[in-house]
Amino acid sequence: MDDSRKDKVEQLVDYIMKWCLWQFHSRAWDREKQNEGVLTKTMQLLCEEPVACETPADKCYWVDAMVLAKDFKETYPWLGAMDKPDIKILMQDLKDRIDYLTITGSLNKELTDQRY
Amino acid sequence: MPYHTFKCSECIPERAKHAVIKGPGEDLTSCLPLGYLNTIPGTISERGCAYCGAKHVIGAPMKDVIHMSHGPVGCTYDTWQTKRYISDNDNFQLKYTYATDVKEKHIIFGAEKQLKQNMLEAFKAFPDIKRMTIYQTCATALIGDDIEAVAQEVTDELGDVDIFVCNSPGFGGPSQSGGHHKINIAWINQKVGTVEPKITSDYVINYVGDYNIQGDCEVMVDYFKRMGIQVLSTFTGNGSYDELRGMHRAQLNVLECARSSEYICNELKVRYGIPRLDIDGFGFKPLAESLMKVAMFFGLEKEAQAIIDEETARWKPELDWYAKRLKGKKVCLWPGGSKLWHWAHVIEEEMGLDVVSVYSKFGHQGDFEKGIARCSEGALAIDDPNELEGIEAMKTLKPDIIFTGVRPGEVAKKLGIQYLNAHAYHNGPYKGFEGWVRFARDIYNALYSPIHQLASIDISQTEVDGSGFSTRQLISDVNIDKTVITPPEEQPYTGDYDCVTKLRDKTYPEPTHKIVKVV
Repeated sequence: MDDSRKDKVEQLVDYIMKWCLWQFHSRAWDREKQNEGVLTKTMQLLCEEPVACETPADKCYWVDAMVLAKDFKETYPWLGAMDKPDIKILMQDLKDRIDYLTITGSLNKELTDQRY
Repeated sequence: MPYHTFKCSECIPERAKHAVIKGPGEDLTSCLPLGYLNTIPGTISERGCAYCGAKHVIGAPMKDVIHMSHGPVGCTYDTWQTKRYISDNDNFQLKYTYATDVKEKHIIFGAEKQLKQNMLEAFKAFPDIKRMTIYQTCATALIGDDIEAVAQEVTDELGDVDIFVCNSPGFGGPSQSGGHHKINIAWINQKVGTVEPKITSDYVINYVGDYNIQGDCEVMVDYFKRMGIQVLSTFTGNGSYDELRGMHRAQLNVLECARSSEYICNELKVRYGIPRLDIDGFGFKPLAESLMKVAMFFGLEKEAQAIIDEETARWKPELDWYAKRLKGKKVCLWPGGSKLWHWAHVIEEEMGLDVVSVYSKFGHQGDFEKGIARCSEGALAIDDPNELEGIEAMKTLKPDIIFTGVRPGEVAKKLGIQYLNAHAYHNGPYKGFEGWVRFARDIYNALYSPIHQLASIDISQTEVDGSGFSTRQLISDVNIDKTVITPPEEQPYTGDYDCVTKLRDKTYPEPTHKIVKVV
């Protein structure tokens, strides 16, 4: 990843860490679903692709994604200048980074508890 | 690893990984204290017990219930009236506290008869109340009293009562958080699904993890009702026992304090397929976005936007008045579990405060993840601090104010540092748009109180300054640029002393939508 893309990913990470809560559910399997659900839908919204909202869980990811996509566009004007394939790559990098910070690299020892 | 060792705790090596400083470039994979572990012997922890967490935090805000502690009177007395979880039924749950008054002889001979007698007496004394929670305590758990059996016996005998058994004795977890967990799981196992609620809207939520501290919950419910949403239950602030038995019929769980009640949301998701939406009810931006998220789930964006616009126009100028005067003040944010992450970023963003430390006595590592993620660089995060560590942190960091509970708050005052009650509030509610201004007002009053300035003068050591009369504003406005014209609505708080009671008589428009789902 080049420095410019890395810097952009870090800006988006900082925003999520400061203003969002969905990435911090209590168990690793929850976080995997949350990160996948919200960030995939955010990417689809930013790329103006159709977003599935058929189940209550999907709807819940979608509302978080709607607010996040709006905030991203308002806070980081450079997003508007990117083309869609680049946004997709950026959002995949973002998801990988959030997965690392909240799941695979996390020091939180409760993430692997079997029960709630 | 950015662990911080307190000088006073050098003799307790087990404390080595319980405090961290968020340094440059640190993230959650390198900067996270241990949390929610058994208390280290000798540290003089200030935590509460699992009984306290179950009864005092979560059970007792239920408003139409006799809350009976099966144990010595001290257990119930010490968890009574220190948290202002008000209700709209004349605060029944705050007025009385009940205990079975277990003494030494019961430890030898058992206390089940004593429990039954007390339960019958309590129901007789309050004939309008037909619901009861029994809380197990250490002593009665250790002697093996079968409180479930006694509860069943009384239910059978009286016929028209319903009793919830909360088996969370004080030793049932590392801290009060163990009790939160136990009562969440006990409630869904025993009570959820035992009442079928009346559905009056197409849009139905449970509002979870708000304990109606000075009316917080009622403020939020007002917003939801204005959107046309039915709040099926509130877990548990101003909550009704029977409404909470019908939680399984909501379409969405709106979760505020994940620390104390994510467990029931997670279980409602697994057992009933109800999704969990975590929100922030504090601060203008987080609250506006939270209301919008709930609205979008149901397609009520216009209704939410109208509320956000109206409330922001009314209250933002008054927040701005305070923000100008709070800018740069250093805060130790030392609340319970969730407020360390609900408040950490937004008091910096919207009030200009500088959070130099966060701590929690019972938070889990998940709470520190959220709190540290939201703090600025340089903040000191401490898990389960003892009093000496708190004092050392205050002396080192030199905060202007501490947001914490009554006990550490009084210690802060002795060091000449003002404190605000982060648990029960000073003059709340603090949730909602107006509530956020009330919080700013209380911070301002604490920081600039003339008596606070005088109290820190040691008259035995210092020549007393005879500059004479001062007011809060004389002190706070020294650095305000008077040449800058401010709009007339930018002024100190103009709301009512009591902004909650009037909500109880409010009428809401009937939903115009048609209910299509019949339960």
